Amino acid sequence: MMRRERWLSLGVLLLMAALWQGLSMLFRAEAVPGEPMVPGWQVLATRTLLSMADYWPGGFGVPGVVSGAARSYAAAGLAIVGNSLDTIVRLYTGLLLGGMLGSGLGLLVSWSRWTRRMVQGPLQFLRMLPLLAMVPLFQLWFGIDFIGKIMFVAYGVGVIFFAGVVNAVGNVPQIYIDNGLTLGASRLRLYRSVILPAIFPELRASVLLSLGTGWAAVLGAEYLGAQSGLGYIIVYSEQFGYLDRMMLMALLFILYASLSYAAFDALARRLLAWTPQTARGIVIE
Amino acid sequence: MAGAMRWARFDPLGMLGIMAMLLIWAAMTRVLPPSSLPGPLSVGLRLGQDFFAAPELSFYGLPDASLSGSMIYTAENVLVALGVGAGVGIAAGLLTARSATLRALIDPVLMTAGTIPILVLAPFFLIWFGVGRASSVLLVALYVSVMLYVFAQRAASGLDPVFEQSARTLGADRQRILIDVLLPSTIPQILGGIRIALAGCWGLEAIAELLGAQYGVGKIIEVLAGATDVQGILAALVLLGVVAVLFDAGAALATRRLARWSVTTQIGHER
Repeated sequence: MMRRERWLSLGVLLLMAALWQGLSMLFRAEAVPGEPMVPGWQVLATRTLLSMADYWPGGFGVPGVVSGAARSYAAAGLAIVGNSLDTIVRLYTGLLLGGMLGSGLGLLVSWSRWTRRMVQGPLQFLRMLPLLAMVPLFQLWFGIDFIGKIMFVAYGVGVIFFAGVVNAVGNVPQIYIDNGLTLGASRLRLYRSVILPAIFPELRASVLLSLGTGWAAVLGAEYLGAQSGLGYIIVYSEQFGYLDRMMLMALLFILYASLSYAAFDALARRLLAWTPQTARGIVIE
Repeated sequence: MAGAMRWARFDPLGMLGIMAMLLIWAAMTRVLPPSSLPGPLSVGLRLGQDFFAAPELSFYGLPDASLSGSMIYTAENVLVALGVGAGVGIAAGLLTARSATLRALIDPVLMTAGTIPILVLAPFFLIWFGVGRASSVLLVALYVSVMLYVFAQRAASGLDPVFEQSARTLGADRQRILIDVLLPSTIPQILGGIRIALAGCWGLEAIAELLGAQYGVGKIIEVLAGATDVQGILAALVLLGVVAVLFDAGAALATRRLARWSVTTQIGHER
C-alpha cells in the first residue's frame, strides 16, 4: 500500500474512534442505570479501566477489591495482565495440542491413498459441524476446568490441521514422489525428505485459520464456565449490562489478535524464505 | 475444484469413511456410559422422535418447538443474512478493487469488524438490537460481508488487466466494462466465496442463537445443555451438520451450473 493510502487508513481508524465518541454523546440511553449503551472514551479510560480492579484477587503487594481494598489502577493493570495470561496460556496449549494431534493424524491417514479418500466423507461433515455450538458438549465431557477448555480449543484447531495436512499431502506433485521413489527412497524417507517439506508452505494457511479459530474457541470455552480469563469478564459483564467493560475487552481482543497474526506472519516469512515465490502467500490473504 | 467435483460424484470411499466413523462412535459407547456418549442409533432415534414435535422442550419454556421447525427458523436467518451480507460485501469488494482511495477508506472498517470474534460482538448486538431475529441476522450478515468483500476484491484485483484494456480499446465505457468484463470474470470466484461463506454461516447463526434467541437450533442446544442432555445436543448437532452438508452440495452444484463459462473453474477450492 502506498504512503497516502496508509495515512488514509489511519485517518479512517481515528474517524471511527471519533464517531464512537459522537455516538456516545448522541445516544445517552443506558442499558442499566448508570451504564451507558454506547460508552465514550472518557468512560472507558477512567471508570471502566478502574473497574478491572474487581477482577484482581490480590497479590504482588496489591490487595484485591474482594478483601476490602479500594479500586486502584495497579490492581486493574494486574487484573488485565493476569486474565489475559490465563486466556493466552489456554489458547496456546490448546493450539499446540490440537496442531500436533491434527497433523499427526493427518500424516497417518495420508499414508495410503485409500485411507486419504476415505476420510474425505467424515471430514466434510466434521468441518460443517458448528464448533462454537459444541461448547456445551465439551463441558459435559471434559468438565469446566483447564482440561475442558484445552480439549475444546484442541478439537477446533485439530480439525483444521487434519484437513490441511490431508489436503496438502494430496496436492504434492506426483513427480516429486516418483522422483524420490526412482532414487530408491523408502516410504519413511519419502515422508521425511519430500512430503514434509512440500506440505510445509501450504500449512501456512491452516495455521492462520487455526489462530482465528483458536481465539474464538478459547473465548467460547471461557464463556460457558470459567473463573478467569477475558471470556469470563465478557460474560460476567454482559449479565450486568456493563457494556463499557465488554468494549474494553473487545479492544484488548483486537490488539491480541492482530499481534498474534503479525507475529506469525513474520515467523512464516522467515521459515518459508527457502520456498519459491509462487508457493508463498498468494493462496491466502 | 477437486472438492466440488468430488461432491457431485459422491466418492463411495467417502461414504465408507462415514460408515467407519459411525462404527468408531458405536465402539466408543461400549466404554463410555450412555449419559456422556449415547450411541449413533439412539441419537438417530431421538432425531426422528423430536423432528416434528418435541413436547419435552416445552418444560424448558419452549412451547411447540420441534427440531424441524427450529431448523427452518435457523435456515431462514442464514439465507437472509447470506443475501444481505453478500450484496454489501461483493459491491464493496468490486468497488475497492478499482479505487485505491476507496479501498483505503473501507479496508480498515471491515477488517477491524471482521477480526472481532462473534462471541465478543454478539453481546453488543443482543443489547443493542434485542434478542429477536434482527441481532443474529445482522451479526451473520456482517461476517458474510467481510468474507465476500475479501473474495470479490481479490477476484477483481487478480484479473489480468489485458481484458479491461482491450475492452477499453474497443470503446467500452465504465458501465460496459463492469457488465461485460468485471462481473463475468469474477463471478466464478465470488460464487466459490459465497459457498465458503454459506458453510461458515451455520455455526455463526447457531452460536448467535445459543447466546440469546427465542427460537432456533442454537436455542435448543442451549436449553438441552442446561439439562445435560447429551443425546439431544448430539441430535441437534447432527441435524445441523446434515443440513449444512446438503446446502453445501446444492451450492456446489449451483456454482458449477452458474459459472459454466469459466475456463479456470476454480470454484470452491477448499483448503
